[in-house]
Amino acid sequence: MNRNVIWKVVLILAVLVVFIVAIIPTANNPEPIKLGLDLKGGTHLVMRVNVGDAVRLETDQAAETLKTQSQKINLPALVTRRVNDFSFMATAPAGVTTADYEKVAKDFLGAWDMSRTPEGAMLFKMKTASITAIERDTIEHAVETIRNRVDALGVTEPIIAPESGNRIVIQLPGIDDPARVKDIIKTTAVLQFRLVEGSPGPDQAGVLASVPENMKSEVEVLPGTREDELGRPVGVEYYAIRKNVPVTGTDLKNARVQKGQLGQPNVGMSFTPDGARKFGALTGANVGRRLAIVLDNKVMSAPNIKSKIEDQGVIEGNFTQQQASDLSLVLRSGSLPASLTTLEERTVGPSLGRDSIRQGIMASAIGFFALIAAVLLYYHGAGINAVLALLLNLVILLGMMAYFKATLTLPGIAGIILTLGMAIDSNVLVFERIREELRENKTVRAAIEQGFARAFGTIIDTHMTTIISALFLFQFGTGPIKGFAVTLLIGLFASVFTAFFVSRVIFDVVYKPEARPSTISI
Amino acid sequence: MQIFVNTKYDFVKWRFSAVVFSLVWVLIGAAFFLKNGINWGIDFAGGANIVLKFKDKVPMDKLRADLADASIQQYGKPEENSVLIRLPQLGREGDYAGATVAKLNKDLNPESADPNKIDLNYHGRDRLFDLLFTADPDAKGTNEASKKYYTDLATSIISKRSELGLFTNISQVSSVAGVTSADSRVLNQRVFLGSFNVLNQETVGPQVGRELQMKAVWAVILSTLAMGLYLWLRFDLMFGVAAIVCIVHDVLVSLAFLGILRGEFSLNIVAALLLIVGYSINDTVVTYDRVRENRKKLKQRMSLEEQLNLGMNQTLSRTILTSGSVVIVLVALILFGGKVIHEFAWILLIGVIAGTYSTVTIVPAVAIAWNNLTGRTHDISGPARSARIEEPRNEAPARKRKAV
Repeated sequence: MNRNVIWKVVLILAVLVVFIVAIIPTANNPEPIKLGLDLKGGTHLVMRVNVGDAVRLETDQAAETLKTQSQKINLPALVTRRVNDFSFMATAPAGVTTADYEKVAKDFLGAWDMSRTPEGAMLFKMKTASITAIERDTIEHAVETIRNRVDALGVTEPIIAPESGNRIVIQLPGIDDPARVKDIIKTTAVLQFRLVEGSPGPDQAGVLASVPENMKSEVEVLPGTREDELGRPVGVEYYAIRKNVPVTGTDLKNARVQKGQLGQPNVGMSFTPDGARKFGALTGANVGRRLAIVLDNKVMSAPNIKSKIEDQGVIEGNFTQQQASDLSLVLRSGSLPASLTTLEERTVGPSLGRDSIRQGIMASAIGFFALIAAVLLYYHGAGINAVLALLLNLVILLGMMAYFKATLTLPGIAGIILTLGMAIDSNVLVFERIREELRENKTVRAAIEQGFARAFGTIIDTHMTTIISALFLFQFGTGPIKGFAVTLLIGLFASVFTAFFVSRVIFDVVYKPEARPSTISI
Repeated sequence: MQIFVNTKYDFVKWRFSAVVFSLVWVLIGAAFFLKNGINWGIDFAGGANIVLKFKDKVPMDKLRADLADASIQQYGKPEENSVLIRLPQLGREGDYAGATVAKLNKDLNPESADPNKIDLNYHGRDRLFDLLFTADPDAKGTNEASKKYYTDLATSIISKRSELGLFTNISQVSSVAGVTSADSRVLNQRVFLGSFNVLNQETVGPQVGRELQMKAVWAVILSTLAMGLYLWLRFDLMFGVAAIVCIVHDVLVSLAFLGILRGEFSLNIVAALLLIVGYSINDTVVTYDRVRENRKKLKQRMSLEEQLNLGMNQTLSRTILTSGSVVIVLVALILFGGKVIHEFAWILLIGVIAGTYSTVTIVPAVAIAWNNLTGRTHDISGPARSARIEEPRNEAPARKRKAV
């Protein structure tokens, strides 16, 4: 055999071995080809991060800073009002010049532009660059927090990726309780420790009335749960809570489920050194008063402070075991910087995925064997050549998917078998050309040479058109369809190789040029 | 075996009747769309789809009463006890499907009100683990080994569920390998079997739906134009235009089929259309490639009509064979591929057939019309012209050969 041909055969066998190795499952890699959510079961979520929340918070803090800093240098108190998410208005008492306040603003509110309203109030507007920076940080922080939570849930191979338009795409393969997972992801989990004023009660107005007059502007009324003597929830209880937040969830070091005195589950927390200092100062200075534990603007409990506490605390609130462990999980993973809104969800249960795999493989196998039968029937000996090329195509396709860690989806399974149906096209083009050349009384070798040479341009063109549409598919598609496009693209490249190179080498081996073959089975 | 050897069909002659036939087909499809409106699927219209599998017969009346504006239909065979619930868009973003499933759970499973019980057809492994680990029926203690023991136990119970679709009887839980009688006792007290399991739930908010709509339309238009551009560069302007007309034809014919069947317009359908754009043009490329090759080779005077007929007849067997092989595969997918890709495979099948059909009818019609408009520039005027083109082949004289 020609040396050249031997090298080609070696190359083909090497390709075969490399790709077969890639698709054989091993102990380290039990699933060499990754299955998509539609086959494995799982949840695909697109969430919008409401970045306005974070900007608004920053605006409120800036207004607060301006107020406190001007009070520190004994300026008369300002009245501030938020105009929208990124601007607020500050009005000085009548007759007081604003020049001094402006100096304070210059020192402390560098990220703000100030203008004056016709009425003489100061209007502060956040600089666009700062808004962008806050939005970017918020998204990053949200991705980080969600990742922590998803990891804590033990989801394997999740995808959590920011997308344009303040969105986060979350893919969670193999989860079996999507409702719970979504709850955990979406909980903002802003934990605050704040002092209670006045006395709590079932109606909001009454609660506010119990607060001393001078404290009224310093408190807000938040809902909590009303309990009977046995600790069972019986309705809503309102609390007047100080606006000032001395200790927050960021001061926590750890949170875990533990058992209360009656065996009911609650969440125990321990503080960071800095947090412990703050918590110690807060509790030490307020022994005998009530301290509210506020989670996402809801009062979880408001125990009396019996003595100075530094290292740990307990959140009680009629939890079930699961609620307590979910709460400790979100507290450990930190709070979200802004609320999330679900824009899209696609959840496939595991049993449906199982059905899809079974049906997809079944349909593909039947299609594949029908294809082989048709090719063998029509082309006899050359048909074997085409089938070998097809099998190699399949091996390369699967091997490349394993190698590139591409995801196999249900449309992807359809894509594999469809690619094989299309790959036959190249063989047919060549074989028909060879037959034509034979009809024109060419020798077997000349017919093979000419057949391949003349079909080449056409094969490239037909592949190019399909590649163009596969690229559009990829660009357009979401999850499963992207998987389809990837399968198609890989298959198309593989088919140029198999139909053109491999098939040619097989002919060269079977009908050796030096043997001057006079018959060909085609 | 050989078919369609040395055929001499006069394809060009049929082009007018073919154009009329295609137009009638597309108009019928358009009439269906006008009458019924476009059946936008959840991907584009937004809303929610939920597939539930019930333990017993589907409580249709209860579902209908509970979800007033939903369309509820049987999913799969009647004995599968499954329904597909479609909810129209709400006009605001949010976890629509999740909220609906929670509501159904509350209404159809009264036991779910008890926070100390878990629904084994609704909740997952973690919750079951928590229950087992805290109750500790097998007295394993609270160490890591015990954690692993109960995690494995919960995992095998839940994977039994996904194998079955859902539990219909508590004895199915007890018979899972590893479940001891002590476990069964605890499970009997602390779990119940809710009436349904969620096979599939999807929510598409209004914003995402609108975006997908725009994206789909643009993807189809741009890929068609890209294809025309590629073929214009590779061949000539006449062919580029003919190719675009051919693609538009194939897409419209497939869409008409969707309209007549009142099929749902989903992401998968758009994927099929995009694939049709790329694939159905292949026959046309092969045929025209041959026409171009002939133009270089032929020595006698020949009109474009004759060149097209010659090219189409020469490539006919290849065209039938390759379309045939894709059709074989698609039929297998239609028959055995399951519900999810059923419509996708159907539309592709129609597109592939339309692609082959348009290659021998629509493309010549456009090419000939173009040729007539541009002063018959694509005719071959005769030997004087082709004499300049060298015969490319130069090989040994024919030997004995035999085709089997």
